[in-house]
Amino acid sequence: MAAPTPPRTLADQLRRWSDEQVAALLRERPDLVSPTPQDSAQLASRAAVRSSLLRAMDGLTRLELAVLEALVVVGPCSPDELEDVVNAEPAAVRDAVERLTGLALAWSSPEGLRALTGVADGLTGTGAIGRLRPRSPDADAGGVATRLEAASDGARALLDHLDRAGGEGTSAARTPVAPEDATSPVEELLARRLVVAKPGGVVVVPGEVSLALRGGTTTAEPVDAVPALATSRREPSLVARAAAGAAFEAVRRTELLLDHWSTLPPAALRSGGLGVRDLKAAAGLLHVAEGEAALLVEVAAAAGLLATGPDLDGDLAWLPTDAYDTWSARGFAERWVTLAAAWLDTTRLPSLAGSKDRRSGKGLNALAPELSSIYAAETRRMTLEVLAELPEGEVLAAGTGVPSVVDRLAWLRPRRPASRGELVAWSLDESAMLGATGLGAVPAYTRALLAGSDAAAALAPLLPEPVDHVLLQADLTAVAPGPLESSLAARLHAVADVDSRGGATVYRFTDDSVRRALDLGWTAAEVHDFVGSVSRTPVPQPLTYLVDDVARRFGTLRVGAVEAFLRSDDETALTELMHHPKASSLELRRLAPTVLVSTLPVDLLLPRLRDLGAAPVVEGADGSVHIARPDRQRARVPRTRPAGLSAAKAAAHLTAVVTAIRAGDKAAAARPSQAPASSPAEVLATLREAAQARRTVWIGYVDNAGSTVERVIDPVAVEGGQLRAFDHRTDDERVYAVHRITGVRAVQAG
Amino acid sequence: MSNGPLIVQSDKTLLLEVDHPSAQDCRKAIAPFAELERSPEHIHTYRLTNLGLWNARAAGHDAEQVIDALLTYSRYAVPHALLVDVAETMARFGRLRLEKHPTHGLVLVSSDRPVLEEVLRAKKVAGMLGNRIDDDTVVVHGSERGNLKQALLKLGWPAEDLAGYVDGEAHAIGLREEGWALRDYQREAAESFWHGGSGVVVLPCGAGKTIVGAAAMATAQATTLILVTNTVSARQWKDELLRRTDLTEDEIGEYSGAVKEIRPVTIATYQVMTTRRKGAYAHLELFDARDWGLIIYDEVHLLPAPIFRMTADLQARRRLGLTATLVREDGREGDVFSLIGPKRYDAPWKDIEAQGWIAPADCIEVRVTLDEGERIAYATAEPEERYRLASCTPAKTTVAEALVARHRGEPTLVIGQYLDQLDEIGADLDAPVIKGDTTVKERQRLFDAFRAGEISLLVVSKVANFSIDLPEAAVAIQVSGSFGSRQEEAQRLGRLLRPKADGRAARFYAVVARDTVDAEFAQHRQRFLAEQGYAYTITDADELLA
Repeated sequence: MAAPTPPRTLADQLRRWSDEQVAALLRERPDLVSPTPQDSAQLASRAAVRSSLLRAMDGLTRLELAVLEALVVVGPCSPDELEDVVNAEPAAVRDAVERLTGLALAWSSPEGLRALTGVADGLTGTGAIGRLRPRSPDADAGGVATRLEAASDGARALLDHLDRAGGEGTSAARTPVAPEDATSPVEELLARRLVVAKPGGVVVVPGEVSLALRGGTTTAEPVDAVPALATSRREPSLVARAAAGAAFEAVRRTELLLDHWSTLPPAALRSGGLGVRDLKAAAGLLHVAEGEAALLVEVAAAAGLLATGPDLDGDLAWLPTDAYDTWSARGFAERWVTLAAAWLDTTRLPSLAGSKDRRSGKGLNALAPELSSIYAAETRRMTLEVLAELPEGEVLAAGTGVPSVVDRLAWLRPRRPASRGELVAWSLDESAMLGATGLGAVPAYTRALLAGSDAAAALAPLLPEPVDHVLLQADLTAVAPGPLESSLAARLHAVADVDSRGGATVYRFTDDSVRRALDLGWTAAEVHDFVGSVSRTPVPQPLTYLVDDVARRFGTLRVGAVEAFLRSDDETALTELMHHPKASSLELRRLAPTVLVSTLPVDLLLPRLRDLGAAPVVEGADGSVHIARPDRQRARVPRTRPAGLSAAKAAAHLTAVVTAIRAGDKAAAARPSQAPASSPAEVLATLREAAQARRTVWIGYVDNAGSTVERVIDPVAVEGGQLRAFDHRTDDERVYAVHRITGVRAVQAG
Repeated sequence: MSNGPLIVQSDKTLLLEVDHPSAQDCRKAIAPFAELERSPEHIHTYRLTNLGLWNARAAGHDAEQVIDALLTYSRYAVPHALLVDVAETMARFGRLRLEKHPTHGLVLVSSDRPVLEEVLRAKKVAGMLGNRIDDDTVVVHGSERGNLKQALLKLGWPAEDLAGYVDGEAHAIGLREEGWALRDYQREAAESFWHGGSGVVVLPCGAGKTIVGAAAMATAQATTLILVTNTVSARQWKDELLRRTDLTEDEIGEYSGAVKEIRPVTIATYQVMTTRRKGAYAHLELFDARDWGLIIYDEVHLLPAPIFRMTADLQARRRLGLTATLVREDGREGDVFSLIGPKRYDAPWKDIEAQGWIAPADCIEVRVTLDEGERIAYATAEPEERYRLASCTPAKTTVAEALVARHRGEPTLVIGQYLDQLDEIGADLDAPVIKGDTTVKERQRLFDAFRAGEISLLVVSKVANFSIDLPEAAVAIQVSGSFGSRQEEAQRLGRLLRPKADGRAARFYAVVARDTVDAEFAQHRQRFLAEQGYAYTITDADELLA
């Protein structure tokens, strides 16, 4: 170190750091930034806060944690000393020290390199490496070896066990003066100072002993051995193609599903998720397993393309968002990047959908709020980054690959919980389905995505180019040999049904599909023109005939709504009626020489017809004639309730009200003109007195809501801090906590 | 981005662009494992099925090859899930094998014990298996070989049948290639079959399936049982065998309702095999009458259910199925696969036509319009009567007669479903009518006369759908069909496809009543042919008559 005098404190060291170093620290430990520290001293103290320390330590690798632990065990020491006790290459240890210093988890004090005070506490628990105690202040390294030699076999076995089990145990043994006096292995160990007694019957193995047991280092096995990934070889171009294929499918399916949900949105469950049946239907629509459907749904929601909103009936449903429209107008590659980036950063756990909750045993729905984990995003990114480190042409091996990634992640972040293994497996599955990986390797465009550069540009050349034409065939199918331009696809959807989807789309023209187009307002000529213009090949004759046939039949049957019909065998009578000066009020239309219809209901139409001098009769649905005799109308006798019951109820209610009022009066009357008894002793005394004398008292009482209320009561007994008393207001016996009584006063009789 | 001819869809269909320069290579690469589903003019559709993939495994292809073929020829990236699925499906085949054990006879051997345990616990196979010899081997009752294979296929663990075949009684049969030669595709078909042991050969009508059968017999060099649809067809097989092989009249027997001969080569009809007497099949013993080395099923798509059951017991004999269409209207393609064998050879019709082995054909749909009175009658008829009414409209008779007049002199068939309609046409045109009650002798005489060119017009019912060899028929007019039967339409077209001496194109007219169920059924019937690349031209009856 070039610094002439070492810094006295961490703050001092931070003050001496270059701006870049401080900036690097703040970047790695962003929690130090807000609120902005006032000076280096505050920064240093905040860096030593337990929660911040733990968070920083969570990001350490196994090697770095081991070095940090060694620092705690050995105490302030020189870099060389540290290299001796860590079972790793010196260069690796130096790198680790540099990172620990950079993270302000350790600093160079005058006595040597030193870990921050709070670090030792954080080293226990999940991800602990060697589980050593700090070295005793008076430790002599040479002496330990001799004492170990001298220990009996039983004592040595116990010591080994204790060391492996975490270096701590409980024992009632006292420390004998000499090892020879020891009556048990524990006593012998205590006598030889191989374990040290702590208050409360706890014995611990001191750091220097643990070190000696492990051959002078904090761990028996090297800590810088990064677990290797199990790999096999695969052509890089195949990896890219397989991944791009999945990417294309993911985008296509997302679009298909959200398009479908635009018109038929699934209901949002009250708990916020998507119903099991809706997920099943989505999986069926997309030709995928439910797990994959859940992933697509979750990713769409994470990307902001899907959210809850009111459907046409006003019920809460899952609907595509406004952002979906802009998304679907973009190129395939860009759309994929939106999805993949959302997936990479989401805390959601799509793979859990469909499984059972461990605690409640209830099924977990896709999009339900429970499906998330704070580790999800980090795990995904790290998994992909680990894969991205593989050289080109190497892919994760089929069976052993996943556990090896789990091991690698466990080395990189030992302090993460054990459920991490599942998260890793899920990340790999999900990435394969989304096309972020292919055949177990990361293609170039995913590397770009991880690095934050232009992934869309790298992906685009691998995806099918949009096409602007189809091939029409005599079996009434049309094949689009690639993804269709979206406007074209929408129009083709109107006139033909989809038979098969994928890189290409196969459409089939049927009676129904052509009729659907006509229903949408197309004319036969438009269908012919459209079909002719999109086809690279001549339009086959059967298709022309199909369209013409359907068009010929289309609309030969007309349907409309009317309220009444008028028919007469006398055509002239109907003509006369149609041309009557006041006929416009009847809203008549002639359908046939002998049939008129009206949009007026019969009861309106009849009097108006009679006004015009016609003499109509009413015909029933079966053609029978109805006689126009007015029906006599009657009402039902209203039911009344017997009077006595409600009178009794009212009386009872009144009695209760009166009781309450009286009690209130008493309370008001008793409201102390002089201060009531309020010290605990006085309160107790007054209450006891009243109980014995069977006298009524007024109390002030703090109720459960925290407000003070007044009560007038007859105390019955005072015991165990509780007062049992008859309450005048509620008219029954109740129990009061004495400490809540704010004051007591005797109530004047009367 | 490669620019291959193949597009792999995630629903397991493969689209092959026919006009692509490497389309032929691609077709060769994918044919072993993908089933050709449709072959219209521009894009052919293949489908990956479990059966097809297992079939490929049986023929010695592995998943790696399949995936490589897909990736090599695919234009776009191949869906990941599909690749995984291919590998997994193919890995299921061959975990169980049927083998011959020196002391225990037929045994089921497993290379994957959990699979064997799973299968042993399945209810479907209970009773087919005997004692367990060791952890991986179970005895199979000899008679259950076919049923077991069927059951295992349904369980999703198809067994590889390595138990081999009996050679059967040897009998010298040689092809006599005088003035003709085995065509390339016929040779390939026979070889593929022999290599595979058992299976089905799919060739268009008129492409010489009988000769493939003869070639298979010549390879087997063993006594052969041939099952055909009817007696006329049996006679034709006999004639063809006499012409193409060195078999003599005495060596070929006919086993039908009329004659019961059992000779080294015996031709039996489905009908006689399924005849029951007192509830039992009367002629079952034919299967054991000789030690047959080869059994040939003609028109396997028509194989009746009882023969399937009989076939289950014949798994030790080589079986060859011949057909033009594997489409079964009853959907029992899976039974054909597991009991006769997988498809061993398949060629698109248009390919064979392009090679000049079958005549090109023009298919024309003629639409007639019902007159007002008929429309009312049709509209008010009971649903089950409607098809008959629409099919038998007099307008069709007029059109048929006009068409016959137009093609006067050319050998013409008028084919129909309803006998009174046929009788009426026959009477109007003064042509002989062949239907179910026509005697075999009379049929034979008429067909011979037709072949010889003495008569140029025959009116036939559905009895002539199959296996009647009428090489010179150049025009067929179908006035009605059995509802929506796709294979019938294909068979009827097939009557015309035998190459003509003068290279003429055949014409197939389907007369259809517009706006009725007849038109709907017609569309369904045409589907198979449209998928095979036969585009129908549609004309109006009025234009035709004008």
